[in-house]
Amino acid sequence: MKRHHMVVRVTHWVNVVALAVMVGSGLRIFNAYPAFARRGETFCCYPFERRPIPDALTFGGWLAGARNWHFAMMWVLVVNGLVYVSFIYLHGEWRDLVPRRGIVRDAWEMMKFYLTLRKDHPHQGKNNALQRLAYFAFPLIGLVAVVTGIAIWKPVQLAPLTNLLGGFVWARYWHFLAMLLLVALTMGHVFMVFSVDPYSIPAMITGKYRDDLSPEARNARPFIHLLPKRDAPPST
Amino acid sequence: MAATGAIGASFLAACDSMGPRSAKPLLEYAEAKNEGIERALFRHTSMDVPKMSAKDAGRSFPAYFVSSQMPTWNESARGPWRLEVSGMVRTPLSLSLSQLASLPRAGYRLDHYCVEGWTAVATRVGVRLSELAKVAGVQPGARYVDFQSFDDDYHESWDIESAMHPQTLVVYAQDGRFLNAAYGAPARIYSPVKLGYKNTKYLTKIVFLPERNGGYWSDRGYEWSAGV
Repeated sequence: MKRHHMVVRVTHWVNVVALAVMVGSGLRIFNAYPAFARRGETFCCYPFERRPIPDALTFGGWLAGARNWHFAMMWVLVVNGLVYVSFIYLHGEWRDLVPRRGIVRDAWEMMKFYLTLRKDHPHQGKNNALQRLAYFAFPLIGLVAVVTGIAIWKPVQLAPLTNLLGGFVWARYWHFLAMLLLVALTMGHVFMVFSVDPYSIPAMITGKYRDDLSPEARNARPFIHLLPKRDAPPST
Repeated sequence: MAATGAIGASFLAACDSMGPRSAKPLLEYAEAKNEGIERALFRHTSMDVPKMSAKDAGRSFPAYFVSSQMPTWNESARGPWRLEVSGMVRTPLSLSLSQLASLPRAGYRLDHYCVEGWTAVATRVGVRLSELAKVAGVQPGARYVDFQSFDDDYHESWDIESAMHPQTLVVYAQDGRFLNAAYGAPARIYSPVKLGYKNTKYLTKIVFLPERNGGYWSDRGYEWSAGV
């Protein structure tokens, strides 16, 4: 069965590359001043002031190189994001991602299942409640990353925007936090893909997915029931 | 950018952007497009106003330069310091510090935006560059301005629109005192509409040009426009 439209598959992988470059180059830029405090002040809300990010997690080699990459790749990220969001809006996929009534209860049931407080995989459609929340949040946090990024790119010419975010120092902090959230969501996503539904990887490449191998069909938790059930009914 | 500068320049000369070499034309293309966006956004009416709650940086204000030692004007060797305004002007100027200080004064409390990501607040007092341009009679073909210094070969050229912004000043005083050597004495360019490295300290010459003339950091891989 076809699971992902070509547009979704292409934008997914473009996003992987663009986001990796944006995060790596962003961390390299951050390392030029790995703190948030204005000079002569202290900053309340970052416990690792003046401790740089390990070089291995950065991209671009040095500050100017990282900036050149960051300010080029940002357009790939933005255009790719717009293509994806426009597509899922026009094509209807957004309906599966927008939270609906009962999402919190459904998400809690999924949590209970993963924590083995519940025996059977909750019934789901294309995505479970936790996935729906994550995939809905991702473009929204991406939007926050873009808006806060614009605010610290041109804080004088776009002063009203920067001031709305609390000024340059805070806008830079929100930009960093948005990045952290995107990284956390991505890490959770990758962990779940490999530990619960590795069959979704070919689906994101070819588009095809076997529903009889879905986590629900396998009653799969992280690292549990990774292989298909032997007595599974044939694919319909 | 002394600290970063001295260390930076030694190994940076060899490389500008890391990553696939073939990406270089694309990165340059993006930089050109971003400069276009920057020019479209630019307004002389967009002014920098630091947050009321922001403290002045005072002595915490970093002091960057590229020479091996902090540049100071050696009057016995070079004669009295003068600021030259030349290039595409009707009346080239050569101003002493007191002549500069007798021109109409402008002052603002301003944020400083460093390319490294930090900001610092200071009150800058000096003469608007637009005032100097008026006195010297800048010719219409002058589209760029080069700010040159006695900090080795440090200079940075700007687009004329940014240079004529009302907050672009030839600064000779900071936080109520004449500039000291750390902050670019006797005079420097300062404007919040450009990143710190575009704001040449230890100023000697202001040259109006028909074409851009690169700059110390912009020739080493940092973006030339660097508008804020």
